[in-house]
Amino acid sequence: MRHSLLLFLSADRLHAQLMAGGKIALQHDFIDTPEGRKNFESFLQTIKYPVYLLTDLIEEDFRHEIVPHLSGSSRTALLQRKFDQFYRGTPFHQATRLQRQKTGRRDDDMLFSALTNPALILPWLNIMLAQQTPLAGIYSVPQISAPLVKDHPSNHLLLISWEKFSGLRQTYFSEHRLQISRMTPIHAGLTFQDAVVNEITRTYQYLKSLSLLPSGQILDVRILCHAHDRSELQNKLSKAPEMRYDFADIEAVGQQLKINYRFTDSDTSQIFLHQLAASRPSTNYANAEHTRYYTLWQLRRALNWSGGVLLLVSMLWAITTFWQSGENASEAETLKIQAQRTLKEAQQISQNFSGAHAPAADMKASVSVMRKLDQYQPVPQIILKPISAALDRFPQIEVNELGWQQSATEPVAINTRADVPAQVITLKGDLQGFANNYRAALAYLDRFQLELGVRGYQVTALTKPLDVSPGGSIADRREARENELVFSFKLVWRPAT
Amino acid sequence: MKFSNADFYQLRWSLAAIGASILLSSIILYSSSEYADFAQKDRRVAQSQMNDGRNRLTMARQDQENLSDFSKEYDTLEKNKIIGDDHRLDWMEGLEKLRNQNRVIDFRYNISPQKIYAPQPAIDSGNYDIHYSEMKLQFDLLHEGQLLNFFDALRNQIKGQYQLEGCTLQHIDTPENEATPNATHIKAECNGGWITLKNRSAPQ
Repeated sequence: MRHSLLLFLSADRLHAQLMAGGKIALQHDFIDTPEGRKNFESFLQTIKYPVYLLTDLIEEDFRHEIVPHLSGSSRTALLQRKFDQFYRGTPFHQATRLQRQKTGRRDDDMLFSALTNPALILPWLNIMLAQQTPLAGIYSVPQISAPLVKDHPSNHLLLISWEKFSGLRQTYFSEHRLQISRMTPIHAGLTFQDAVVNEITRTYQYLKSLSLLPSGQILDVRILCHAHDRSELQNKLSKAPEMRYDFADIEAVGQQLKINYRFTDSDTSQIFLHQLAASRPSTNYANAEHTRYYTLWQLRRALNWSGGVLLLVSMLWAITTFWQSGENASEAETLKIQAQRTLKEAQQISQNFSGAHAPAADMKASVSVMRKLDQYQPVPQIILKPISAALDRFPQIEVNELGWQQSATEPVAINTRADVPAQVITLKGDLQGFANNYRAALAYLDRFQLELGVRGYQVTALTKPLDVSPGGSIADRREARENELVFSFKLVWRPAT
Repeated sequence: MKFSNADFYQLRWSLAAIGASILLSSIILYSSSEYADFAQKDRRVAQSQMNDGRNRLTMARQDQENLSDFSKEYDTLEKNKIIGDDHRLDWMEGLEKLRNQNRVIDFRYNISPQKIYAPQPAIDSGNYDIHYSEMKLQFDLLHEGQLLNFFDALRNQIKGQYQLEGCTLQHIDTPENEATPNATHIKAECNGGWITLKNRSAPQ
């Protein structure tokens, strides 16, 4: 639950209320006397929450200035010069940019304001600084009044409110921007209604004299009051053509701003205090030294939160990692059990053939080697039988020499196995019964070569009885004998796939 | 706003808290990271054990299959003295026995020293060295059939594996031997070698 301490400072007293989750948990009033300050000091010792100080004092001054549009250190220096010029005697000053002009140099339309009587604030402030109270800022009622008129359509509006311990507050807005604010104490014997009636005409004249209200312009007046005071106010306020009244029921405003407080009269202190707690303006009257302990409080809080978040994130990360690693661990456990089971099964299988006189792999290797070598050396019948059959069909061929040898370097023919060596057969012979009829002899030999090819051999003629190719040389063969029609073939054979 | 020593004093517990938080977070993150590494390593080890187990089981099953498929053939190889050392005396006795059977007119043999055989194309011989004792044969033949008959007998009667690699047959027909019955008509030369398989794990 969010806690904060709200302080409402009027001329002669300080009201303190401790807020917890939007409700008032504790409240106390301290009179501006030594005893009252001492009580405040004691009160603060028990409070270590951020403190918001809302002032409602007569001595608050507003000045409009148009300044060049600057930024950074130039702007800071310019503002400081203006503060020195306007409010040399008080540290409680601020500058708010109302708007940037749309024409010319596009200068800034600034509202300078200050609490001009620091003596009213410093005693309380010094107590807070001495107690190292985290003061978040020093604000004023006019400063936080703008949200109460933002829904009003008028461009010239006077907001009237009454704070029980301060007096009657009249704040003038032009185009919903704060222009000026007046505070009038209400003396004993004068009622709220009478004070409103008395002051409203003076303020109208004052605004006219400052030219803040253009001539002929109707001034809209919004009066924050309790329903009990409304009818009396309506009766007492004279109907003037230059002013138009609007009565805002303080309870309705409270409900609109979600303020959990029961209003019994027209005192608007709680409206402003709650408004301050709900939405703080971006600027205030406190300087860095005033808010030193609040800055430290924020830093402390940031450090604590950072530490907590860091720890939490680390723990979440660690939990995620442990959870993910848990999957690995359980998977590892399962794998180990499966591995043991598999090993046991393998051992059982191995035990079944432990009586064999050689390892199974060796048996396989030796048998495979011998099977392969058997394929490498086909029995001679397989190689020679087709040749013998071919020779039977060619009786005029006489074989003189026949040999075969394994060779792994011979090219592999289509549809034959490449994983076994080739058998290279050399066949030498001669042709019988052709006399000098070379044409017939060569044709006969060609047919024999074709026959061998049909029977699965790759046949290459190494020598022929007569070389009739264009590259060969031919000599007179009148004296050639019968047995000189010799030839030699190279036959390559591999098993079919 | 400038910070003074007093400000740091005010922040001491928060600074200590965030310091402790950083320390604790580091310990937590380090521990979780270490645990994650350990779990991952353990899983990898378990996976490798599992793979090892599967390989062994596969090998055992293969061995089992090999045993049933190859044991009979292996026994035959052992019986035929192909596994182990050379049995040169057996080969010699076998060849002499063939000589006495007069399957060819005459033959001569020459067995060379044993060497490691590298068949072409290469064969994966597993845990075995293939030993090769080259034997060259020279024949005097009446006809080609005698040669084929001789090698059939050699294969069937002599324990061992003779790897025949090639032969050359040459007719030597002359008017003299054509007139003489049982004369040599063909001279043949064959080359090959006796194959034995030596297990590399076996004692030398």
